Amino acid sequence: MAVITDDLAPSPGRRFSLATAIRRNPTIAFGGVLLALLIVMAVFAPLFATHDPFKLSPVNRLRPPSERWWFGSDQFGRDVFSRTIYGARVSLIVGLSVAIISSVLGLALGLACGYFKRIDSIVMRIMDGLMAIPSILLAIALITLARPGLGIVIVAIIVPEVPRVVRVVRAVVLSIRGQPYIESAIAGGTKNLKLLLRHVLPNTLAPLIVQSTYVCASGMLIEASLSFLGAGVPLEVPSWGNIISQGKTFFQIAPWTILIPGAFLAVTVLAVNLLGDGLRDRLDPRLARRL
Amino acid sequence: MSAPVLQVDGLVKHFPILGGLLQRRVGEVRAVDGVSFAIAKGETLGLVGESGCGKSTIGKTVLKLIEPTAGRILLGGEDVTKLKPGAMWQHRRHIQTIFQDPYSSMNPRLAAGTIVGEPLENYGITRGGETSERVAQLFQRVGLRPDAMRKYAHEFSGGQRQRLGIAKALSVNPELIVADEPVSALDVSVQAQVLNLLIDLQEEYGLAYLFISHDLAVMRHISHRIAVMYLGRIVELATKRTLFTQPLHPYTEALLSAATAPDPRRRRTRKRIVQGDVPSPARPPPGCHFHTRCPYAIAECKVTAPPLIEVAPGHHVACLRRPVGGGPQPLSVSG
Amino acid sequence: MSAILEVRDLHTQFDTLDGVVRAVDGVSFDVARGETLGIVGESGCGKSVTALSILRLIPPETGRIAQGSIRFEGTELTALGEEEMKGLRGHRISMIFQEPMTSLNPVLTVGTQIAENVVRHMGVPWSAARERAREMLDLVRIADARRRLDEYPHQLSGGMRQRVMIAMALSCDPQVLIADEPTTALDVTIQAQILDLMIELKEKTGTAIVLITHDLGVVAETTERVVVMYAGRKVEEAPVEALFDNPLHPYTRGLMRAIPRLDVEADAAGTRPRLQEIPGLVPILTRPIVGCAFAARCELATDRCRATPPPFVDAGGGHTVACWEVTL
Repeated sequence: MAVITDDLAPSPGRRFSLATAIRRNPTIAFGGVLLALLIVMAVFAPLFATHDPFKLSPVNRLRPPSERWWFGSDQFGRDVFSRTIYGARVSLIVGLSVAIISSVLGLALGLACGYFKRIDSIVMRIMDGLMAIPSILLAIALITLARPGLGIVIVAIIVPEVPRVVRVVRAVVLSIRGQPYIESAIAGGTKNLKLLLRHVLPNTLAPLIVQSTYVCASGMLIEASLSFLGAGVPLEVPSWGNIISQGKTFFQIAPWTILIPGAFLAVTVLAVNLLGDGLRDRLDPRLARRL
Repeated sequence: MSAPVLQVDGLVKHFPILGGLLQRRVGEVRAVDGVSFAIAKGETLGLVGESGCGKSTIGKTVLKLIEPTAGRILLGGEDVTKLKPGAMWQHRRHIQTIFQDPYSSMNPRLAAGTIVGEPLENYGITRGGETSERVAQLFQRVGLRPDAMRKYAHEFSGGQRQRLGIAKALSVNPELIVADEPVSALDVSVQAQVLNLLIDLQEEYGLAYLFISHDLAVMRHISHRIAVMYLGRIVELATKRTLFTQPLHPYTEALLSAATAPDPRRRRTRKRIVQGDVPSPARPPPGCHFHTRCPYAIAECKVTAPPLIEVAPGHHVACLRRPVGGGPQPLSVSG
Repeated sequence: MSAILEVRDLHTQFDTLDGVVRAVDGVSFDVARGETLGIVGESGCGKSVTALSILRLIPPETGRIAQGSIRFEGTELTALGEEEMKGLRGHRISMIFQEPMTSLNPVLTVGTQIAENVVRHMGVPWSAARERAREMLDLVRIADARRRLDEYPHQLSGGMRQRVMIAMALSCDPQVLIADEPTTALDVTIQAQILDLMIELKEKTGTAIVLITHDLGVVAETTERVVVMYAGRKVEEAPVEALFDNPLHPYTRGLMRAIPRLDVEADAAGTRPRLQEIPGLVPILTRPIVGCAFAARCELATDRCRATPPPFVDAGGGHTVACWEVTL
């Protein structure tokens, strides 16, 4: 038996503490907390809402913000605060489902493209084609084919978002394939499927998670744009895009109907992007090593 | 004498150079250009040469990580060049590899024990608890603590990672290990540990090594026979002792004269025999590839590629100015 | 001979997630005018950080010179502002690094890059600087220098790029050239040419060279005096012949026995002698090292070695060693 000559390089034990976690990753902490607050607000919307968001009240049209209508009221006398809170539901549902579904589809296609040369050229040309069409136009075109509703909006946003994920995953897979540890695994007799699941897939997850936050933010913005253009969720549903769209006629006398939901949309997108930037810095080993 | 563990006949590997808008083939890099050698059981054959000489490409081709353009690769007497991936899989067991860079040749997301045990499970040699028992033995054998199995690659030092790589290669009891610059990323003190371990394992298990390196001193330490490569061709092949005491090819001579030695008095007596850079393997010079830098080159060298000729038993050299029986006397500069 | 560069009790530290790394931990040495000093050691011994400290190139976000003095021609470098350092770097003190491709700007021709350095430091007109660049390329033996001036770094081979780096480093007649592993990325035959060139130019220009390397062969063939570093500390310093003839520190001795040799006629029978190993690993630099840094791997170590850092002992002829157990 060989003499054990090396002592293991001791790995310094690190206890988890919230304070150090926030100090090291202020962007993740800030974005995450903000997003968590928004999610809580959306889930428990009925508890936070001061009014019924659907109730018309013609006498109280276009009231400025006050104690009774915190964010004022719109041209039908509906409470903007309550509608904005309910609107978070639409944005978050759209954002999260677009992020999750496009990530799963993009991962599958990206892995296939990066791994099998024959599929690659066909799929990537289709993806290039999809990316050449402005995503709003593509989404509007898809929506006109079906009855309006949340589901079709989500599908219409996913279609233009998937190619962006595919590109990222494919690029990562191609770089992983060139890594010596892949050759090492092949030389050790590892077969294709195991190679893909055990060696390639886990190493694509970090960039995929980061990309999915950007897709989430972009999905929310597209949803708001679609609603604003009248091609989104049905008009009576309080989504931020719908609230802004309906308020635009009265923008000069009641700017709160636009500014407040607009600000919420901006803050939500910011929170998601901050989270994504923070995760990118944290998960990218090249950046992490430099710290 | 028993059949060689590995025999390579006329191996050629050309990489296409793609160019233009449509990525058409505009040329090729002749990475390996007709190379033949054999390795016997328990023997170390060293492949030495500078970057771009094709030594690593030979390693990867022998492992069938890349497909050869032409030539035959015989493993245990069977030609594996034409085998389909499924049939090749059976052969991989007998030929394992150790990589240069211990940092990138380990999947960062797997525990060390999993990495080392993977070939065992792939070939169904062991399962479950049996595997971890065998892996623990392998860890012991290469000088690592078995309780390190649960650690990840980044928690090991460079030398320890190279031990992990060796353990993984050993796990399926191969006959041949291709070691591509296995110690060049290591510090001197750790390099000695790894070289000693490789020699011990060879003697214990009768392993054959194809040892690829640019470092002549390491090569001289570990090899039995050495092949010197220049731009895709073997220019000299001899036993270690012959090569270092009676080098016949001018390029071998140049390599030996250029190597530094830890002896401050040597610098005053040295004479460097070559100048200039290695030409690009995409546009190798015609004739003898070395003629552009060779102090002894004659007109004939620019047109005729010299064949590799056995000038003395076991001593092969590819140089027009070294006819059979040319002996070890020095060449002179002419023309 | 007067010292042109004096490093005294240099401490350079870095902040990492695991704590403060004492990369350089109390190193002192002198560089005399026109001499070649080698700094040798394994990875993580602090040799490159020492070079970066002299050039004041330690990234301020993570590292700092915590203590010590660096005097160059009588000027205290640790007290200079960044602007004054910029005036010195590439002019009075210049440097070449391991990978010439990353040290050259890929979008500028080599002539422009050398000439810019000359204009910046010497204040000469552009045409004179171009002429100087051509002279320098001639000096480092780049054939057809006038044409090469207009080529980009990627058009040159690795050896050629390192020649360009040397030309640029010497273009303003520096007093000290710091070369950090200048030949490590190069092939054997190219390495030999570059080393020969550096020595020849040193003799021609009188520039002192600080050569930082892990390669004992390179040290033996090019330097006059050697500093051996281990775990951020200097353990031995000697004229090159004395160091190789009679290494005194157990670490230096271990290193010399660990390298496979080309120049020894030992294995006539074709046997493979075992290399001497240095057992164990280098210490973790985030933990304070009590006593001698090498004690944990040293076969001579005693309790005193583990408790108290050894002082430097003078072995005569400029040979000093930090070891309690050394017998002179």
